[in-house]
Amino acid sequence: MFRSKLLLYLLFVILATVLLSSCAWFPAVKEPPYQLVKTWGGKGNSAGKFNEPTGVAVSKAELFVSDSRNARIQVFDFSGNFLRFIGESGNAAGQLRRPMNLTVANEELYVADYFNDVIQVYSLQGQFLRDIGKPGSEAGEFNAPGGVAVAKNGDLFVADFYNQRIQQLDSKGSFIRQWGTTGETGIWASKFNYPTDTAIASDGTLYVADGYSDRVQVISPNGEFSHKWGGPFAINIFGSFNGWFATVTGIDVGPQGNVFVADFYNDRVQKFTPDGKFLNAFGLPTQAPTHTSIAVAISSDDTVFVADYANHQIQVWRPGQ
Amino acid sequence: MKKVMLLIVISLLWSTTLFAAGTQYDLRVDGLACPFCAYGIEKKLTKTDGVESVAFDLEKGLVIVKVKEGMTFSEAQLKLLIEDSGFTMRSMTEKPII
Repeated sequence: MFRSKLLLYLLFVILATVLLSSCAWFPAVKEPPYQLVKTWGGKGNSAGKFNEPTGVAVSKAELFVSDSRNARIQVFDFSGNFLRFIGESGNAAGQLRRPMNLTVANEELYVADYFNDVIQVYSLQGQFLRDIGKPGSEAGEFNAPGGVAVAKNGDLFVADFYNQRIQQLDSKGSFIRQWGTTGETGIWASKFNYPTDTAIASDGTLYVADGYSDRVQVISPNGEFSHKWGGPFAINIFGSFNGWFATVTGIDVGPQGNVFVADFYNDRVQKFTPDGKFLNAFGLPTQAPTHTSIAVAISSDDTVFVADYANHQIQVWRPGQ
Repeated sequence: MKKVMLLIVISLLWSTTLFAAGTQYDLRVDGLACPFCAYGIEKKLTKTDGVESVAFDLEKGLVIVKVKEGMTFSEAQLKLLIEDSGFTMRSMTEKPII
């Protein structure tokens, strides 16, 4: 009796070891390490200083930063030279209170304003153009929008944080459809647990940073759930292994179609193929009681810009040779 | 002598109440390091009648809520507000703002 139990136990250990060592839950790095080439910023409210940066986006030659507690957007060239402010503190149209993840699309800047419950739209030079949405939980309304992606036709895909859903709106803000059940969290496919950001690939595939479920969910261009990744089975099992997350706060698609994810509590950005295969990870550790990598944007030459929340700065990374 | 001491104690208590400019509640809440969490709590509390300011002590995991003179909140009310923000309040301390 004892012998058969021991054999069973040994068999289980061998099987578990084989599975764990060979399965995709613990992938190795597939590329040379990324190199940190520059940082700038520091805490403050003058030009070039930040008070809790929470979002980044790039145009052809400029970087836009959500300077959240200063209630403004700052614009820089890619070398870090300050160019201009966009927005000012307030809750009127065009004013900001707590800007979060940003998107540049169709020559416009889209700002998810977490406190004003709207998406503010500006020209890249900073002229206010329109706002989209209003506070609430009905169709086309928001409760703390965390991020937005914009399709080629102008449709918006908004991570509606406290409403636990992704909303698709047309360019004027009319509701088209949503994924997730309003106000209900969930860990299964197409359910969300405080979604923080969205990004759209050139073919229309939508990537969702499913914040507290510690995973990425992917929606195909026809609106169907496609796939998900992040830890075993991508069901809110968090960790610091490659390919695992601990609160996903930002997402962007690079020029080669790879997906970059801000993995906040792990103080890093992780890079994946479009189907979710882990490629690389990089970041700066934190010295503060909070964490570093909160948002990410990639320029057309593959430079990666990271909003570093804990250190109130921008990190600039280049692919390793 | 006992009467004098009693008078002093009563006077001190009276002056503390008289000059208190409101109440401060220190709420212990997990997960404040992420701004999506902290901002959510801040947004909820600052919209609540009577709340003057909300600050965070991330080292200690505290939400520091200052409320106007004459306003008070029970532990249950604050717990509910934190729960509505998606978090759990572990404990609370209360003191007058002088």
